[in-house]
Amino acid sequence: MHPFDLQAALLAKHAQHVVLIHFPIALFLAGVAFDFLAQWTKRQSLAAAAYYNFFVAALSTIPVVVTGILAWQWQLEGQRLKGILLQHLVLGSASSLLIWLAWIIHARARRDKNAVLPGYRLLIEVVATAVVALTGHLGGFLSGVNGVG
Amino acid sequence: MRRSVFTGVLLLALGFGIAELGAGTRNFTASAQQKAETAEVKIDNFSFGPAELTVSAGTTVTWINRDDIPHTVVSTDKVFKSKVLDTDEKFSFTFSKAGTYPYFCSIHPKMTGKIIVQ
Repeated sequence: MHPFDLQAALLAKHAQHVVLIHFPIALFLAGVAFDFLAQWTKRQSLAAAAYYNFFVAALSTIPVVVTGILAWQWQLEGQRLKGILLQHLVLGSASSLLIWLAWIIHARARRDKNAVLPGYRLLIEVVATAVVALTGHLGGFLSGVNGVG
Repeated sequence: MRRSVFTGVLLLALGFGIAELGAGTRNFTASAQQKAETAEVKIDNFSFGPAELTVSAGTTVTWINRDDIPHTVVSTDKVFKSKVLDTDEKFSFTFSKAGTYPYFCSIHPKMTGKIIVQ
């Protein structure tokens, strides 16, 4: 495949899932870093940076989930999943929900000018980071980053 | 004289009988081998081994996943298709017609192989 053959790249079925997944992971982790810094320094601008990172991360989970489900339906014809594939699906869904939850907590706090960001959000973000990392580990294992595939 | 002719004929008949019995056994063995002809392709470290396998028509090829990762065996021409094979799971297909059958793993499309049926 030619590296600039756009049509071939777009028609490569589940290849997009592997590419798109990097966006929510990077944006979410950056958001978590900004949020912890915001908590530590008490700077609103860092909390705002976390909010925007979480927002785009949450949005970018949509095409990731869609391409993941399409890969399941096209490449594996929707057959019942088990083992690592099932774990990846469950953890990936949980990751998406936790990223959306992190954004919703920030969005609610921003709506009310007097509201303070709740401290428990940091715990949710830590748990979400662990789930995202585990999902990514399994995804990398499945895609063969450690092998010749 | 008559006795020696009789003995000769008897020995000849016995010889033919033994020879025929041996041939029959060989034919039976050959036919059994033809019916039960099998070959195996091992899936390991993101590759099919051997990647190219030549078999005769009627051979049953069995793919066995020795990798830690799930794989599939899917014919490019949609002749055969396995379910997701976890570690140590197998998939078999009997090739009745001569031809070339390229295949790949649908989870890892870079993994390819070929069965040549003669």
